[in-house]
Amino acid sequence: MDVVNSAILDPMTGWVILAAFSALWIALGWYWGRHSQALDDYVLAGRRVGLALGTATAMATWVTSNTTMAAPQIALQMGIWGMLGYSLGAVGLFLFAPLAARIRRLMPTGYTSGDFIRLRYGHFAWRVFLVISLFYSLGWLVSMGMAGGILIHALTGIPYHYGMTVILGICVGYTLLGGFRAVIGTDFIQALLILSGVVVIAFLAIQHIGFDDIHRSIATERPELLNLLMPASIMFLFNNLLFGVGEIFHSNVWWSRAFSFREGVGFKAYTLAGLLWAPIPIVAGFIALAVPALSLNVPAADMVGPMVAAEILGTAGAVLVLIMVFSALSSSIDSLLAATSILVVEDIYRRHLRPNATSAQMRTASARIIVGLGILTWLLCAPRITTLAELLYFTGAFVASTIWPIAAGLFWRRANTLGAIAGMLLGSAAGLYSYFAIGFYVAALVGAAVSMSCVLIACWLQPAAYDWADLQEHHPQESGGTP
Amino acid sequence: MIIPETLFGIVIAAALCLTALAPILLLVLLVQDWKKGDLW
Repeated sequence: MDVVNSAILDPMTGWVILAAFSALWIALGWYWGRHSQALDDYVLAGRRVGLALGTATAMATWVTSNTTMAAPQIALQMGIWGMLGYSLGAVGLFLFAPLAARIRRLMPTGYTSGDFIRLRYGHFAWRVFLVISLFYSLGWLVSMGMAGGILIHALTGIPYHYGMTVILGICVGYTLLGGFRAVIGTDFIQALLILSGVVVIAFLAIQHIGFDDIHRSIATERPELLNLLMPASIMFLFNNLLFGVGEIFHSNVWWSRAFSFREGVGFKAYTLAGLLWAPIPIVAGFIALAVPALSLNVPAADMVGPMVAAEILGTAGAVLVLIMVFSALSSSIDSLLAATSILVVEDIYRRHLRPNATSAQMRTASARIIVGLGILTWLLCAPRITTLAELLYFTGAFVASTIWPIAAGLFWRRANTLGAIAGMLLGSAAGLYSYFAIGFYVAALVGAAVSMSCVLIACWLQPAAYDWADLQEHHPQESGGTP
Repeated sequence: MIIPETLFGIVIAAALCLTALAPILLLVLLVQDWKKGDLW
């Protein structure tokens, strides 16, 4: 099927919508960030974010292009358990809620997840962690840049490279102008757009086809999708749960939010965000299950979401999909740009290159790194090499191996350096092996299991006696640097 | 073992209702934070 010819929005309409929302995000980014000159204001929104904005930013960031693209794809491949399994990504938000409260309490002046690993486990573990975290961040950025190009192309016919360039360029633009305050402010609006869009599309799908027809068509043509005992799907369910937990536990995207929230907000914000996020993949996946009823020929699995939406909703629906997808992509890309830039600034620039960097120098470096990350992501997105789900799950082994070192390190004095290092290295290796030997749906499962064994055995053989006060680090720029 | 249509319908309907309520909840929280001066 020729996607350009089947796109139901003409490219001009697509460009108008993209231009309107791009102008809105840029203007808001400039407005909210115009007084963010100090480092903490620019990278952590002054550490005073309230419950509403905190909940919305956690929820919107977790609604990624993968929720709108890969969830329908997974639903079409793995059926009902695929949808529910994807929904278990919310468990990561729930489990991170107590961690966010503890992070804020133990490290009131912290900046990154790297800070924690360095202070808790030492320099070697920190560097292993940085490799995992940066690899994952880049993988996530690339998967969303690609999704942006694919979706805009599918919906409007705008060439892949133009769409991908627009989405990356706009996110870099307003994150650069407004820093973390712009990220959080736009996330709130994007959360409202995403939630409203998903609900409207699902209601229109039911109205257009009929719920009974959707169920009957699947039961007749693809009964395996409704099978409650589909083994690969059940494996996927647990794998996705651990993958989500690993992504959230280690990534500075979520740690930077924990640092930025007001005292007492972290636990409530992450719990509420999990509750609001959990039903979204089910609704998005349900839309894909309309394929048998529509007798659609889906040439590429990662195209199923936009194709179904385009088939059943017409022009107005396609406009809605484009706005929703643009919001989902922006809310995640901006968060990643902001969180990865401070990770690079704090853990590489300051800790490796400029130990006496002032607040002003770090702020400048952060802005430059946001631009650099945008360019690097564009270069990696340019050749569209793999399907989105494959790219996404390739990182599963790595992130799942960090779950136990992070969680045990935050709550157990006895967790030690050897267990953390072995957990991350052996967990990643075992997860990667299982990815290639068995399939993507077991990589996180194996990675987390091996990592857990390493951490627990090391704790048992040689328990540490860590002093939590060591996490309260003095930052040179707090006393020396001027904004 | 195929999921019955009724159960399938309940799962989808529950997910749809929760998603529909979410924007309202976020706006209510926003107004509460704004009144207390706790937005950010």
